[in-house]
Amino acid sequence: MKALINNKECSFEAQESILQVARKNGVFIPTLCELHDQGHAPGTCRICLVEVKREGAAASEFVTACDTPMQDGVQVLTRTQAVQDMRRVQMELIMAEHNQDCAACSRHGDCELLDVAETVGVRQSTCTLAKPGEIKVCEGTDQAIRFDASRCIRCMRCVAMCRDIQGVDALSLVGRGADTAIVLNGGDDRRQSDCVSCGQCVMVCPTGALSENDQTQTVMNYLTDPGIVTVFQIAPAIRVGFGQEFGLPAGTNVEGKVVAALRAIGADVILDTNFAADLVIMEEGNEVLNRVLQKEGTTFTSCCPGWVDFAEKHFPGILPMVSSTRSPQQCLGSLAKTYLPQKMDIDPQHIRVVSIMPCTAKKEEAARPELAKEGVPDVDVVLTIREFARLLRREGISLADLEPSAFDDPLMSEYTGAGVIFGTTGGVMEAAIRTLYYVANGKELDGIEVHEVRGFDRVREATIEVGGQVGTLKVAMVHGLKGAAQMAQAVLDGTAKYDFIEVMACPGGCIDGGGHLRSKKGYLKHAESRRKGLYAIDRQTGARQSHNNQQVQKLYQEFLGEPLSHEAHELLHTHYHANPREVDA
Amino acid sequence: MKTLVYGVWDGKVYDLRKQSAADDAAIPGLTGLEAFAPENPVKVFVADRGFMVFDENANLAGAFWQYLARAAEESCGKCTPCRVGTVELRDQLDGLRRGETPSGGLHSLRMLAHLLATTSLCGLGQSSGRALLDALTHFPSAFDVKAPVGEQNGVIYTTAPCIEACPSRLDVPRYIDAIRAGRNTQAMDVILEKYPMAASCGRVCVRFCESACRRQDAEGALAIKMLKRFASDKAHASGKDFFDPASVKPVLSTKKKVAVVGAGPAGVTCAYQLLKRGVDVDVLDMQHKAGGMASVGIPSYRLPKDVLKAETEGAIVSLGGKMVYGKKLGEDFAINDLFAQGYDSVFLGYGASRGTLLGVQDEDPTLKGYFSGIDFLKAVHDRVEDGVPFEVKGEVVVVGGGNVAMDCVRSALRLGAKKVHLVYRRTVADMPADHEEIEASEKEGVVFHCLTNPSRLISDNGKVVGVEVVDMRQTEMDARGRRSVEAVEGSEHRLNCDVVIAAIGQQVDRATLGETDGIETDRWGCVVADKDTMATSRPGVFAGGDCVLGPQTLIQAMAHGERAALSIVQYLQGETPVVLPEQRMQQLIADNKLLKNECLKHEVMLKDRQPVPEQDVESRVGNFTEVEFALTQRDAYLESERCLRCYRHYLVVTENPLADTARAVEFA
Repeated sequence: MKALINNKECSFEAQESILQVARKNGVFIPTLCELHDQGHAPGTCRICLVEVKREGAAASEFVTACDTPMQDGVQVLTRTQAVQDMRRVQMELIMAEHNQDCAACSRHGDCELLDVAETVGVRQSTCTLAKPGEIKVCEGTDQAIRFDASRCIRCMRCVAMCRDIQGVDALSLVGRGADTAIVLNGGDDRRQSDCVSCGQCVMVCPTGALSENDQTQTVMNYLTDPGIVTVFQIAPAIRVGFGQEFGLPAGTNVEGKVVAALRAIGADVILDTNFAADLVIMEEGNEVLNRVLQKEGTTFTSCCPGWVDFAEKHFPGILPMVSSTRSPQQCLGSLAKTYLPQKMDIDPQHIRVVSIMPCTAKKEEAARPELAKEGVPDVDVVLTIREFARLLRREGISLADLEPSAFDDPLMSEYTGAGVIFGTTGGVMEAAIRTLYYVANGKELDGIEVHEVRGFDRVREATIEVGGQVGTLKVAMVHGLKGAAQMAQAVLDGTAKYDFIEVMACPGGCIDGGGHLRSKKGYLKHAESRRKGLYAIDRQTGARQSHNNQQVQKLYQEFLGEPLSHEAHELLHTHYHANPREVDA
Repeated sequence: MKTLVYGVWDGKVYDLRKQSAADDAAIPGLTGLEAFAPENPVKVFVADRGFMVFDENANLAGAFWQYLARAAEESCGKCTPCRVGTVELRDQLDGLRRGETPSGGLHSLRMLAHLLATTSLCGLGQSSGRALLDALTHFPSAFDVKAPVGEQNGVIYTTAPCIEACPSRLDVPRYIDAIRAGRNTQAMDVILEKYPMAASCGRVCVRFCESACRRQDAEGALAIKMLKRFASDKAHASGKDFFDPASVKPVLSTKKKVAVVGAGPAGVTCAYQLLKRGVDVDVLDMQHKAGGMASVGIPSYRLPKDVLKAETEGAIVSLGGKMVYGKKLGEDFAINDLFAQGYDSVFLGYGASRGTLLGVQDEDPTLKGYFSGIDFLKAVHDRVEDGVPFEVKGEVVVVGGGNVAMDCVRSALRLGAKKVHLVYRRTVADMPADHEEIEASEKEGVVFHCLTNPSRLISDNGKVVGVEVVDMRQTEMDARGRRSVEAVEGSEHRLNCDVVIAAIGQQVDRATLGETDGIETDRWGCVVADKDTMATSRPGVFAGGDCVLGPQTLIQAMAHGERAALSIVQYLQGETPVVLPEQRMQQLIADNKLLKNECLKHEVMLKDRQPVPEQDVESRVGNFTEVEFALTQRDAYLESERCLRCYRHYLVVTENPLADTARAVEFA
């Protein structure tokens, strides 16, 4: 079939939208609510208006390009005066009820709404037609994620993300008329609700309606308080994801610059969560080994707090199968208030641990009462990458201009290649297999890399010949909670039998976690390059197996004894709480 | 009634101040406005297709203000032009009606109305802007307000094709909205405003709504029935008590007691609506369980009895009503007895439960192996539910093409009949049964004999051994495009069988009412009841369902039950039951077919209807377990997202208040 767009002939298939046909032919139509790469076209903003002329018809029709199929023989005009006027008034209507206190917005300087406003020619932020409604107060101020109804444009991207991509179904658009708003399902506050704080909703929100609970000021206060010793840790995925904020290509390793930046803002001790990832392999790997040898069945990984929360809320039946090892963030936090002060001779009461994480759920994790000592949390504040960027801007630091620096502390900053790949789906599994192979065979795996567990399918499985006492290992890797739900159900039903299952709540793993830099008009845009970045670091690292981390070995010798020792259990393991949901209704 | 002064309808502009009366002065294709309400002239009419002004001094801005206020209230809040535009238009019109000049001039209003009408996501926004756009375009001077006006008399009514098609006027898009938002208990609440039998209706409704669904112009009607079942099953599973006595809101100042005769869908719904308003109710039934035809007439593989019981007897008892079983009107008591016992009002909903005979040669109702459809289904029911012995062996011939015939053939198969034949005088396409039922019967192995009619029963020693049938052929199409059938002479042949079931219809049991009851009946024995108030010829006695209509549907019976309950409340308040304003509007819409034959104005992206999940044929034919399953959550979301929300508002501004508008609101 053929149609004209702005007098240019375009061929198309039945049921292709006008927008799709236009894009294929390089014709730009402004869009706002749509999320192209996820097939999300809810048709709520009504910005993508075009004029359609039909032969024989007296008048033009005005339709939205995203949800109108292209018709044979029509002429589509995207730039007529009428179309421009209508789009502009449409945008003015959106602006009329939008909280335009942009200075106070989490999307300050990075807003899709303002981009589109400029695109359709709305120059003034005040609307002469409509009176701005009463500015609604921010709602749902939770630990990790907050929703500001006054900035919501009802694009429904978050609902689609939570419902269709993640399968959590914690968000709905309810109400009528101007009061229509996004609400949590299952309960008013985040702990009661179905939400697990994975933050993928934040990643797709075009405005500042959804954001992390901003804790940069707390960290500023720590940094400026002379009585406080600040201990920072950075997650594996930070170093390949952060450079973009300062104009560097996605996937660029900016580890040295991040260390330099932390030093510049006055961090007292800078540790690497990668170190703790290696440590987790020693603990969790031994757990898996014991369970495999004793034929105790499946073990699920526990390093992802979104997944742990999800299991507690939606699949409490599998909690006994979840590794008791704390996540790398929490292992490091625990040691930063015990081992570190002992070694450095500091009063632990003066220490504040700040994590830089690509994650919103880590904020929830840090607040868990069981991950505290005498009421004091092991990790005091978790900053998402976005908050970290804000912190650096507040300190006037441009990452791109900094000379890279190295971790200088002899404690808990060394890492192996196995630790760094924790940031991608399959990485935890690969790290574990590298060490399990060594334990089983007394020698390192030839070629080191375990390509069978790599990949980007949401649910993958592999059979690994480990040999020795371990024999054959059946493993599965899941990223995204939709796949996790399927896997958990299959394990409970007995239809899936694996020795070890790695789960990461966010599609892609931590390299596209809910605390990452946001993309505009796209989802998982940079996952692939960030992942390549992590594997590149792995290849460049001297030691590539967690058990070869010298600082980890030293930690056991000097402090913990051996993996799964009493001390290790005290400091590095945890327990879970079933928090089953009500019947959905 | 004043004559039309000016207006726009379907894009055509009328201005009788300029045109001479001879110029097609009649209101374009619209009748009934002049008689909308007795002695109460209509001043303005606003609808989705245009508007009409009958009083030159009418405050048009005020009328549109009311119209847009409703739109702003009903907007689902998703798309920009409707969520924000209706509010903006409402507020600007609010200023206009009070004589203020809008800040952006009428031009800005026109732009907003244009955006609303042409770019809204769903039917609600699109239809809310059109008449206003027409008015602003063609009659801008009508917005120069000389005398400010407040809320005007009249009625505004919001509906949609699916709602108007439903006898209960159930707000279908609204509960679908709730399902789409994952709020199944809210969806349930919408349904429960009308009747308690939500999960039952979600299983067996004949779905007038789906026939009216505009998605049919695209890829097929919404699976509305399946969505209703999904929401009600989920809602019940949530553990919430939907028949909580605490939800009762008394509307009468004194205690009154009503007898409901018949625990079928009409009676149960009437009792439910009365109980919800704090009226005491006893429900009397000749059977020993509630549900009426839905209980004994619909096999449990379509409607499990526990589902039915929970929302019939369960609902009534939970709300404080009393079930009195084993009492038959006309045998155990008469209507006079009920009043003598102190009941203040009576509702008759005793149904139409007598089977119809074939009327063929050698027919003898006492023959062994010869049943009416309803008697057969009763026997099946008693065996499956209560273990009363009943065997079906050998071959079975069922005569008929309706849902009862389908229930008979499928039940006979499940009881172990060797072979089941369906004999129908017309073609499969002519069968009144749901096509899903026809397909399921075919799948389960029923042998169809269409264009075939029984002509003689064959018996031996008091027992059916066969039926003689004759071939039929279709006649030429008549002037109205319909074909009849006629017998093919000499084509008689014999079908050997052990059981013949005549499923060709039911009728009212004429023995139910006698002279002394004082209730007028028609020539079919049906109770004569006012179609608006359900009042019978005897004061204080109301009726509804099959005993009024003859054998009809569950949803029609429930609609009657609800409507009668409202009249009974009025009667108990010492007033004469009146036609409700929304009923007048419904009549106007129906008379002018305002919602019929509507078609989609724009092409839409196709979204396939979700298939009904069901048991395999092999696993289901041998038993009476439910054949269909509920939709999955995912499929329910997908299905609910197909709804086009074809809402429209109709506003009539009248000179004087419409009767009992206030009370109508109270009922809602």
